[in-house]
Amino acid sequence: MKRFITVITILAILSFAWTAFVKPGKEAPRQKTARTEFVHSAKTVETQEPGGALKGLKKFWEFSGFRNVSKGHLIMITIGLFFIFLAIRYEYEPLLLIPIGTGIIIGNIPFYQDGDINLQLGIYQSGSVLNYLYFGVLKGVYPPLIFLGLGAMTDFSSLLSNPRLMILGAAAQIGIFLTFLGALILGFAPPEAGAIGIIGGADGPTAIFLSSRLANGVNMLADGTTVKNLIGPIAIAAYSYMALVPVMQPPIIKLLTSKRERKMRMKPPRAVSKLEKILFPIIGLLLTAFISPSSLPLLGMLFFGNILKESGVTKRLAETARTSMVDIVTILLGLTVGASTQADVFLTPDSLLIFLLGAISFMVATAGGLLFAKFMNVFLKGDNKINPMVGAAGVSAVPDSARVVQTEGLKADPTNHLLMHAMTPNVSGVIGSAVAAGILLSFLG
Amino acid sequence: MSTLLSLSGIFGSIDKQAAVIVLIGYMIVFLALVILYLVFRYLMPWLFKIKLYRRAAKEGRALDDSEKQVLTGEVNAAIATALYLYYDEIHDYESNIITIRKVSRSYSPWNSKLYNMRNLER
Repeated sequence: MKRFITVITILAILSFAWTAFVKPGKEAPRQKTARTEFVHSAKTVETQEPGGALKGLKKFWEFSGFRNVSKGHLIMITIGLFFIFLAIRYEYEPLLLIPIGTGIIIGNIPFYQDGDINLQLGIYQSGSVLNYLYFGVLKGVYPPLIFLGLGAMTDFSSLLSNPRLMILGAAAQIGIFLTFLGALILGFAPPEAGAIGIIGGADGPTAIFLSSRLANGVNMLADGTTVKNLIGPIAIAAYSYMALVPVMQPPIIKLLTSKRERKMRMKPPRAVSKLEKILFPIIGLLLTAFISPSSLPLLGMLFFGNILKESGVTKRLAETARTSMVDIVTILLGLTVGASTQADVFLTPDSLLIFLLGAISFMVATAGGLLFAKFMNVFLKGDNKINPMVGAAGVSAVPDSARVVQTEGLKADPTNHLLMHAMTPNVSGVIGSAVAAGILLSFLG
Repeated sequence: MSTLLSLSGIFGSIDKQAAVIVLIGYMIVFLALVILYLVFRYLMPWLFKIKLYRRAAKEGRALDDSEKQVLTGEVNAAIATALYLYYDEIHDYESNIITIRKVSRSYSPWNSKLYNMRNLER
């Protein structure tokens, strides 16, 4: 509870600062004062007299971060530091929040910016190192690679032993579609609304993949206008809520379940044969890709990674995919997504709305899975009944939401272990959110 | 009434196409996972059963009840642990090699026999 209050208080302070300093519909100010002098000094640099040391110092000052800093930069740096604080103090997804938090700081170091001059420093300036790395986000290269690693590290045996729980993974995707409607109501264009809706899938790579295709600032709408570039805010919102799963889910779980329901025990999972484990990724790939071909980059890589793992003859490849490769891609993805939140692009009223919609969609998804588990219980008898908390793991934040269910289960009954049961809706949620992303892409792309 | 009117105004902004996307999209997500469920809940066990029957028929015997049983992971873990403990405690074979292990200590006046004996004057 203390954690929850701390996090909410800091978030409220940041939101207040955000709304107070950034006026609606107006971007953070850019520095233009030094422009003419920069051009002038660049032309006359060779003819400067030795006595121009003061002028040189002045120029140095104009190019330093202290001269170009704005309130937006400071707010973003504070957010970056807050992410790092959350990762170190509470260990909320440190593997994601440390690179993203550091990326936010790197992306918001103020430097001289003007439309005509390209210092090749910022992530949006062509030719900069960060811009090259950002290519992987912009073109949706990193998310399928993350899915490959995810497939190589996921054991689907819990899912195979009790496939009934897979449906909970589908039920929790209600968050995606309701948020899509919410975003439309708030005035976002359909492709932008689709990209925002996927935050409800609670899957960072899927959110980046879809936003890079739908809300990339390049695509044209039917009325001839260009879609907004929402990759940064969507990615940050998705990863923030993934990290905040241990804070956000327990209150919803407690609200919607009774103590008796939280104590419910489930039948232990059966042993799964090797053949079943090998067949699952093959059948899963064929079925899901035939149903939703647009989700092929994500699901194809997920199941490919799993085939590497389960085949037993490509141990080296599986090992690389789930360790070194996924680590490298996580570093690059986290850093570039963080750096893409440059104040002048990120601090807009749209971002605040995206964060709000993201939070709602996450709560709706959790509640959707949970209530569907209760609904299923109406038709189930005896020891086949499902502990409703397991439904909350249908949001595909793997394995955090399953871990939350396990923790809450242990709080209700210290001998009731629900982790393996919760992993089924959790991994099927990944499949469900990827299918949903494919559907939105095929409708709106 | 005014609330209802304002609600209808809000939802009026959602066009037909969006509603279709939501309905069809959610249904397809369900469909994909329900098909996977049906395959792994009914089709796979059925295929495995056929495999078992064929094997039994080939060997010219009826299918044993124990073969039809599905063991849980917990039962498997208990059997494996019991077997491990059982084999770990068996001492039916000994190497019969007896050796005296020589322990060498580095020299120090503190462990020297010479200095520790009382040197009586003769």
